[in-house]
Amino acid sequence: TETLTISSWLPPTHPINTGMLEGLVKMMEEATDGQVTGEIKLGLAPPPAQMDLVMDGAADMTVIFHGYQPGRFIGTQLIELPGYPGNAEAASVAYWHVQKAFLDKLDEHRGVKLIALTTHGPGQIHSSKEINTLADLKGLKTRLGGGVSAEVGAELGLVGIQVPAPKVYETLASGAADAVAMNMGERVSFKLNEVAKNVYEMPGGFYRGSFAVLMSQERFDSLPEDVQKALDEKVFGEPASRMMGAVWDQSDNDARAATEAAADNKIVTASAEDQAAFAEMAARVREKVLAQISAAGIDAQAAYDMVMTEMTAAAGN
Amino acid sequence: MIPLIRLMRRLSVLPVLLASVTLFALMVLTFCDVVLRSAFSAPIEAATELTRIAIAIIVFASLPVLSGRGGHIAVDLLDPIFARLHLERLRDGIVTTLSGVMLLWPAWRIVDLAERARSYGDVTEYLAIPVSTVTWFIAIMTFLTAAVLIVRGLMIWLAPRLLWEAGHD
Amino acid sequence: MTDSLIGFAAVLVLVLLRMPIAFAMGLVGLVGYALETNFRGAISMAARLVIDTSQDYGLSVVPLFILMGLFVNKGGISRELYQVSNAFLGHFRGGLAMATIVACGGFAAICGSSLATAATMSKVAMPEMRKYGYADSLSTASIAAGGTLGILIPPSVILVIYGLLTETSIGQLFIAGIIPGALGILFYLAAVYISVLRNPAAGPAGPRATWGQRLAALRGVWSVLLLFGLVIGGLYGALDVWPIHLTFSPTEAAGMGAMGAFLIALARGGLTLADIREVLEETALTTASLFAVLIGAWIFSNFVNIAGLPEALANGVMEMGLAPWMVMALIVLIYVALGCVFESLSMLLLTVPIFFPLVTGMGFNPVWFGIIVVVVTEISLITPPVGLNVFILKGVVGNVSTATIFRGVTPFWMMDILRLLLLLLIPGLTLFLPSQMLP
Ligand code: NA
Ligand code: NA
Repeated sequence: TETLTISSWLPPTHPINTGMLEGLVKMMEEATDGQVTGEIKLGLAPPPAQMDLVMDGAADMTVIFHGYQPGRFIGTQLIELPGYPGNAEAASVAYWHVQKAFLDKLDEHRGVKLIALTTHGPGQIHSSKEINTLADLKGLKTRLGGGVSAEVGAELGLVGIQVPAPKVYETLASGAADAVAMNMGERVSFKLNEVAKNVYEMPGGFYRGSFAVLMSQERFDSLPEDVQKALDEKVFGEPASRMMGAVWDQSDNDARAATEAAADNKIVTASAEDQAAFAEMAARVREKVLAQISAAGIDAQAAYDMVMTEMTAAAGN
Repeated sequence: MIPLIRLMRRLSVLPVLLASVTLFALMVLTFCDVVLRSAFSAPIEAATELTRIAIAIIVFASLPVLSGRGGHIAVDLLDPIFARLHLERLRDGIVTTLSGVMLLWPAWRIVDLAERARSYGDVTEYLAIPVSTVTWFIAIMTFLTAAVLIVRGLMIWLAPRLLWEAGHD
Repeated sequence: MTDSLIGFAAVLVLVLLRMPIAFAMGLVGLVGYALETNFRGAISMAARLVIDTSQDYGLSVVPLFILMGLFVNKGGISRELYQVSNAFLGHFRGGLAMATIVACGGFAAICGSSLATAATMSKVAMPEMRKYGYADSLSTASIAAGGTLGILIPPSVILVIYGLLTETSIGQLFIAGIIPGALGILFYLAAVYISVLRNPAAGPAGPRATWGQRLAALRGVWSVLLLFGLVIGGLYGALDVWPIHLTFSPTEAAGMGAMGAFLIALARGGLTLADIREVLEETALTTASLFAVLIGAWIFSNFVNIAGLPEALANGVMEMGLAPWMVMALIVLIYVALGCVFESLSMLLLTVPIFFPLVTGMGFNPVWFGIIVVVVTEISLITPPVGLNVFILKGVVGNVSTATIFRGVTPFWMMDILRLLLLLLIPGLTLFLPSQMLP
């Protein structure tokens, strides 16, 4: 049996570890009749180091958040745009498709083998103070994750606070930040139900967050040919991306239920006017980001249309 | 040789000065960030990345100087035994040289990683400072630390009197 | 499991050969990681940790807290602290030693290091105690023991490093250290009392200060109270009141504390440009040495991690069917034993990556375990044959043998063990304050 070392920087109980990476190991075992398995190692290095670890063979696989390496990933912002309908599973599948159709040309994951792409569910604002309207967000000291979320934050008039995800709880608890932008599921992972009791929810989300699973090309090439084939056909690509998206959705649903069950937690959904007002902001962000992607050398509008069409179709079902 | 060592000692004032000024600036930056955020809800958005760069400068400007002065944290439990056996010099010479030599591989790789970051276009979030600039600084200072340790180790071993005399000007 | 143990032994050998801890752990970690994976990967892992650790935002609290302690010291605050506790306690039998303990506790509230606390207080308190005919064994022991409070009473460099290694909230750790630290002061006062009970000649009573003198002395400590109030109040959220709204993360608390200490020292006059340069230089060099150790420790812990030691330990405990409290008792015994030979930082760095996953896996609270680790680390500082605080005293005072100091330390050490048992048996002592911190 070949055991792949999977490096992860997320907290032990995070759905990326307990759901997605464990799920990926299971898929690999099933597809190869147990010839390939994986072992998750936590905390080998901080997030921006992960791609280098895999590229040089310090670990065989890893998961990265594209927003942690500004400048390196431009095309990956496409899936982070606000305004797509639908859940994380649909988004992750559409993400893989648009990667194959358009983004592969940018070769942003060069040096490693791209195993899966995913995005978490719609990103919302979680705050210690109650937020009822879009205008309430102005001046709110908010931890943003980088990438498109920072652009959206600027449109909303949020004041950006930069802290790594594991520090979010104490940053909110100490009052150094008023709010954090995250998907619903992270309310459980980062115990936001205690320190950010209010959710201001925008249907479709204020943004999404792009992740990728990477593997060492060398390590992959070292596997027997039939194993390579089985992994490529049955696990890597769309199947893994879909599985990861489904885990995000499950975590979002669980967290929503927990938030609704907590008497002191409150979810406020944006009013129709606020949704319309945000749609205008989203359009400005979209224009700006698509221009960046176009400048990198692909037909960004066509890529955007592809994701939009696919996700609208999926949401309609 | 002695004038050379003394020159090196004088030159070591420069990185220490760099580290000191950066440290003071870091203190003022943190203070201003908190006050601006608390009083005016207007934190310095680039404070985090500036802090990161500041620590890298403080640590890596100091590291060669620290190494040259033999200031690393070490355990001196067996010192009396080594002293009795007159093996102190041999031990310190070998250990110091070895410490310097083992730094060479990571130092080379840091250069590779700096160039890799440049080729991918990595920049910081708010100020778009190229990541490779800081990484190159770390690489150069790591090499310098290695060189200082190797020279110091060889001198402890082969020419302890030079080291001693140069220290008493 | 075997690989990790060989690695652990290799580190011990190299460290005993006086290889700097950073390099010993880095070298063994690198070679071990290469053997478990491959050479190229191991070098990259090490190189990335060099790059990333030196740019870790959370670690900026290290230089800032060191800076705060040094500025405070330059401002002459340590002397005033001693004078005020002396004015209140000096007339009791053993009173000067008691005053030393209290002053150490006060100084610990603005200084993050035990060695610095011991070194500073020995310069201030030792001459006084000699003047009044205190036995060297009692006076040195009270400083050596009192100095250990530096890493338990916040701020604390050791708690910061524990927090960073284990991703435990540094703010919560700091708050959790307050009650055990206060207990430490009380227990050490009891140790002084026991010492003079057994040998009244060791600590004769000093002159009684008048209330006028006491109030005059009190005026000198406002700056300590101000700084401690600023740092801990800001962390605790106690300053989040109209119209200030000051709340900060540990890094910011350190920055505010350093700036506050700088301004206080400046306002009192006597802070020259040369002083400032000296303080900054010392801080920078100390920071570099700590970061080097942290990088080495991380490389070593990656080797232990990739070799599967944490899992093997957890499985071993499961197979043997040990109850959690037995495992905890075993770990504490290992710490006390290691404490004979090791000093604080190296002990923490070597053991936490191994024990922490095991301990939290069994459901123990990470903040509580952090405080326990710091208390056993404190004990190590005064446990023979290698007690760093004792050596500091020996270094500063000079004409007193380490054997004398260790003899004087014995009652303090025993009170430490008592306090450790209390903290082990009643987790609420540690966890009450942090639990109040949540909004
Ligand atoms: Na302290
Ligand atoms: Na000891």
